[in-house]
Amino acid sequence: MILKQFLLLIIFVSFSFAKDIKMSAYVDRTQITADDVITFTVEVEGTTDFPNIPTPGGDDFVVISGPSQSSSIQIINGSMTSSKTVKWRLAPTRTGKLEIKSIGFKHKRKTYKTNPIFITVVDKSRKFASGQNSQQPQKSPQQPARPKTEHELYLEATPSKTTVYKGEEIDVSFDLYYKNVKTFSRKKLPDAQGFWMEEFPTRNNPDVTTEVVNGIVYKKASIQRLAFFPTKTGELTIDPMIIDCEVIVPRQRRKSLFDDFFDDSFFSDSFFGSTKIKTVASQPIKIIVKPLPEEGKLSNFSGAVGKFSIQSTIDTLETTQDQALTLKYKISGIGNINALKLPDLNFPKSVEVFEPKVERDVNNKRNKIQGTVVYEYVLIPRRAGNITLPALFFSYFDPSQAKYHRAVSRTFNINVRSQEKLFASQNLGLRKEEISLLGEDIRFISRENPTWYRSNSSIFSEAWFWIVNTFTLIIVLSAVGFRWWTEKMETNVAFARRRKASSTAQKGLKEAKKVMDVGDKETFFSFLDHAIIGYISDRLGLSTSGVGRQEIEIKLKERNVDVEIIKNTDSLLKRLDLERFSSGALSDSDCKSLFEESQNIISSLSKVI
Amino acid sequence: MGRIANKIVFLILLANCLYAGESSDILFLFEKGNEAYLNEDYKESVNRYESIIAKGYESGTLYFNLGNAYYKSGNIGQAILNYERALKWLPNDENVTVNLKIANLGVKDRIDTPPEFFLFRWYKKFVNLFSSRGWAIWVTLSAIVAALSFTLSWNLDLRKLRFLVRFIMYASIVVFLVALPEMVQRYRIETNHDYGIIIDYSVKSLAAPQGSSTELFIVHEGTKVNILDQDRDWYKIELIDGKQGWIPAGSVGII
Repeated sequence: MILKQFLLLIIFVSFSFAKDIKMSAYVDRTQITADDVITFTVEVEGTTDFPNIPTPGGDDFVVISGPSQSSSIQIINGSMTSSKTVKWRLAPTRTGKLEIKSIGFKHKRKTYKTNPIFITVVDKSRKFASGQNSQQPQKSPQQPARPKTEHELYLEATPSKTTVYKGEEIDVSFDLYYKNVKTFSRKKLPDAQGFWMEEFPTRNNPDVTTEVVNGIVYKKASIQRLAFFPTKTGELTIDPMIIDCEVIVPRQRRKSLFDDFFDDSFFSDSFFGSTKIKTVASQPIKIIVKPLPEEGKLSNFSGAVGKFSIQSTIDTLETTQDQALTLKYKISGIGNINALKLPDLNFPKSVEVFEPKVERDVNNKRNKIQGTVVYEYVLIPRRAGNITLPALFFSYFDPSQAKYHRAVSRTFNINVRSQEKLFASQNLGLRKEEISLLGEDIRFISRENPTWYRSNSSIFSEAWFWIVNTFTLIIVLSAVGFRWWTEKMETNVAFARRRKASSTAQKGLKEAKKVMDVGDKETFFSFLDHAIIGYISDRLGLSTSGVGRQEIEIKLKERNVDVEIIKNTDSLLKRLDLERFSSGALSDSDCKSLFEESQNIISSLSKVI
Repeated sequence: MGRIANKIVFLILLANCLYAGESSDILFLFEKGNEAYLNEDYKESVNRYESIIAKGYESGTLYFNLGNAYYKSGNIGQAILNYERALKWLPNDENVTVNLKIANLGVKDRIDTPPEFFLFRWYKKFVNLFSSRGWAIWVTLSAIVAALSFTLSWNLDLRKLRFLVRFIMYASIVVFLVALPEMVQRYRIETNHDYGIIIDYSVKSLAAPQGSSTELFIVHEGTKVNILDQDRDWYKIELIDGKQGWIPAGSVGII
């Protein structure tokens, strides 16, 4: 192979031109133990006329072998590059931080110099990892140490910012630094609690650049970019991203004289080595999330951070009552599109508003996460007239200016014509139940004069109710009473006599009067006598026959009847006895007065017995 | 006795005269309202009908017509409120139930009513056959018939007719015993003011009777609510599905 390269060199040597020389120096490792050997390489590019490169000097290292030289010529797009690589194997002379001094040479009156390279040499007994941190330049003081276990390979997460406002975008790019990696695959995206994460698109074959880190040359592939939007405040952590890499492991060979010859990148090929899978993780990133400033906060701010604009559109400005309108609000811009919320809308009362249809579109093709949110409202004006759909104020926080802004949509004035002769049942929205009733109207009013009632009146405040029912009650009670009365009259003689006493007495008196008119005075007196004595004995329950004046007097006294009445009764009965036996001696007028006296006695007695 | 009876008769006649005077006034308003309704001047119609209520008179038909006028003028909440009131007076009126059903289609909130046990449903239907005044007529008539037949069978020797009169008496007693509790039940329904209809377009229901408290849910015009409690200008309401909250008293109309 070398032969071939030489042949090419010979063929193309005439085409070489003098160009600026590029020069770089690097080592394969920067951390070694005292027993290790490092390979120091100086690469010179851009000339075919290679100068002599001096041997690295200094007391820190001794040259074990070398220089071994190789040169190559490449023709890319018609331009030729040739390069020369010179390699030395160096062994440290002591432990600590050693320096490979810069090497300089002159070429066409110009002096070129390599950078000095620092190597840490530790005692074999000490842990390898202990010296690592000093090598790794830290991104920011609060970043935790990246656990680097593999020198050949590491994954670096670089946040665009480490201190942000809540809702502000942080872009994190994940770069793989490697030497011999054939393929890699993403195993796990970082977990980030308290963040909304959005991925930027990835390419299958990322751009590979060469970068020198601490004197070691790495290939750098940008494998992933992620955008994070914190949804909480405080100190949050973006967890490591983990990838699997297929690493080429050079075949183990015996050390020989040809080692140097074969220790060439040309041979570090899969053809010569086997591969193995290695898992690498990026370092976790600490982010400090500041709350949004209270100062200048707008009243309807709902958490949008970024830069936004709002647009509103309506399908028509002229409509008829109950015809649906479509109103769209489109918010577009850069920022946390997913956290956008429309502020409360103040639609007029006469407009029926349905739940909006929300369409979110996040665009990750650009440098920053952008997007649009469309709110589509269906409005149905329920009444005719002019309606104003008010302007919508959408507030957002611009982190680059650390200020609140407000985007304003336009207002719409809509003219709603009334729908003539359209009955209310049809305009109450489109509901399932109504389909069967469509075209049906409410029943017509009743026009006959109704019965009027006083407000808060009830059946219990109606007079007729009480009157009729009281009457019914009276009927029932009187029926019961009548029955009781007749039964008692039939069964209880004394009671019957007592009840009938006054009517019997009246009858007797009537008969007496009849007799008196005829002129039969004797019978008249006896009838009067009978009537009075009969009345008293009926009332007092005495035997019907043989009741004398004395007995009556005693009984009346027992009843505590007034003495006057007893005296009058007694004297009347005495007189009647007398007159009965001295018949005809009394004039008609005397008879009449006697009759009246008897009447009076009975009525006065009826009050006391 | 006779003098008192005379006085009562006189008072009744006087009351009737007064009533007749006011009644013709109300009838005039009622007819004006109907006229306005016919001319599709629903606002005027509403005003006329409402003025009758303001005078302290009401009737099922009036509430029905008022509900119609409100419905036509687009006021669903008031329409439903008045149909519900009309139902108190005319529980078995088909026109009212049909219109209430149509008006309910326009209510925004759909709250599923839990199904009722069929016996309760039948019982409710039976109670709603008549208003309390209707049941009162049954009560009164059956009482009179029972009383008369009782009087006859108790006090007179009816011979062959006795069985017939007895039967009439027992039958009317049964009618009386059925109608009396129904009347009381209807009376309780009619004087029950525990239900209301939301008359504002949308009302926020709060956790406490203070304007600053947490909003629990929103009820819309026409929704029927149970009023559980009152605190100054706030009603504590319960929806059919059991949600409770406080709303301003002005946004609900008591049935």
